[in-house]
Amino acid sequence: MSHSTVTYKGAVEQRIDMRWLTEVMVAPIRNDDINERKLSIGNDQIEIGELFEIPGNFSNSHVVLENTTTKMDYVGAGLLGGFQVTANGDVGHYAGASLSGGNVKINGNTQDFTACGMSNGFLEVTGSVGDYIGSAYAGDKAGMSGGTVLVHKDANNFTGDLMRRGTIMVVGNIGDYCGSRMIAGTITNLGTIGKQVGVGMRRGTILLPHKPKDVITGFHDCGRHSLGYLTLLLHELRRYESTFQSLHPMRRRVQRYQGDAAVSGQGEMLIWIG
Amino acid sequence: MVINGVVIEDTFSEAFTMRATRIIITAINYKWARHAAETMTGFATSVIGCNVEAGIERVVGNHETPDGRPGISVLLFATDKNTLEKQLQKRVGQCVLTCPTTAVFSGMEGDDQIALGKNLRYFGDGYQTSKKIGNKRFWRIPVMDGEFVCEETTGYQKAIGGGNILVLARHISQALLACEAAIDSISMLPNIIMPFPGGGVRSGSKVGSKYKFLHASTNHPFCPTLKGHADNVLGKNIESAMEIVIDGLTKEDVILAMHRGIEAICDLGKSQGIETITGGNYGGKLGPHHFHLRDIMNESFNRYI
Repeated sequence: MSHSTVTYKGAVEQRIDMRWLTEVMVAPIRNDDINERKLSIGNDQIEIGELFEIPGNFSNSHVVLENTTTKMDYVGAGLLGGFQVTANGDVGHYAGASLSGGNVKINGNTQDFTACGMSNGFLEVTGSVGDYIGSAYAGDKAGMSGGTVLVHKDANNFTGDLMRRGTIMVVGNIGDYCGSRMIAGTITNLGTIGKQVGVGMRRGTILLPHKPKDVITGFHDCGRHSLGYLTLLLHELRRYESTFQSLHPMRRRVQRYQGDAAVSGQGEMLIWIG
Repeated sequence: MVINGVVIEDTFSEAFTMRATRIIITAINYKWARHAAETMTGFATSVIGCNVEAGIERVVGNHETPDGRPGISVLLFATDKNTLEKQLQKRVGQCVLTCPTTAVFSGMEGDDQIALGKNLRYFGDGYQTSKKIGNKRFWRIPVMDGEFVCEETTGYQKAIGGGNILVLARHISQALLACEAAIDSISMLPNIIMPFPGGGVRSGSKVGSKYKFLHASTNHPFCPTLKGHADNVLGKNIESAMEIVIDGLTKEDVILAMHRGIEAICDLGKSQGIETITGGNYGGKLGPHHFHLRDIMNESFNRYI
């Protein structure tokens, strides 16, 4: 599929709000207009053309970002179905935030609030992500409400905080407070997990290969079970090219903990056994 | 038209438009999937008295089912969407939910959807949980053997009910043998059910009755014990008439099923006592779909096969 390559010229020290990219992709405008459009950088207004090289034949359906920096926030944020953004390198906060369709791929690491407020689509990070992946914007009552996030390395603390729907797949390790205040949805990983898993969790599933060192007191051991729906879930997880494809779809024997009883306590932490 | 000595009458079988859905019942093994499927398709022979016509379509291999377990595919036909939805929920609730180890999934895609697990979930008394996997929502209801998993909705579509073949034979055992051969052949086809007991009907009905409170009554022109009456159509040597009723998802499915059925009956031939094959023709009073037997058996119709 043809794509347009947008290259950052490395012109500023301040953070760059990349929502302009989604705006010009979703509601395409003329090439000259893109270059002349102004961005707020620090306390200044700078034309996009001064910061980025926009190709003459800008095609809006798939954009590849080159020479990215960790100061680029909101990469792929708010993208709609049918559009695709690929960032070759590390990016900043809020990557894929409010994603409501389409496909965002970060070939590198992202910082905090990745996939924050996402409602649909697919976000893939080949590196690691920071805190609050799939969470809510500050002040919002609910976080990610749909779609799938695939992280090939690690996720830091508060993964899926206030998450409401959708799936977060982490191939590596997850930090502390995973699934904190989670409303619903699915979080799964293949590595280790930190402390306070599922604290304040109301509903949803946290599916883990190993039991956390401390299972918080709000979670009750419900015993070992073969859960049929895990086959449905595994078929979905195996759709994406990742280490999750090594999981056999009939692997559904789990130890089930239900909690957090401190809130409505309908959530579950499932630990693979066998 | 005569095939192997069997007369194919120049008439048509009359059928009507219905709404149909398909569900897939899975279980720990085929035995329990079949128990659930057979129970939920019980008392579902005719919309006249059962509101719905239902039957087992086929066995579904574990590589085809959503949860990787052995399954049975069930088709349900009703006259309208609301009846179909009500009957589906009642039958799944009483016959599948209750059957050990089962799960139930949609067997039909499309924009037109009816509730499957959407309302059954309340049986979970607040302990039920939903899971949205891909674009589909599933309900997990805690039950005494573990969890009952069901898809929230299933698709439905326009379909055809009441396609039929009437077999006229010299003896009751010969009519039965012919029906069994046809039923065996038709039951191999997808998108088709034969909702009556074992697939055969001995009490074919006509539209209307002398009694005002009845919409259908015995098809007296085909009753052998009334052969002496003026409007009886059976020849002197006919002692038994039997019917096979076919419900299919499309017109082509019904045509193919009728073709296979008539072919199987004609294979037995006149030497086995099969005299005539005819159709339930009610002069257009029953429904808009007319399946002309001779057209179906013509070479030109082989494109459906």
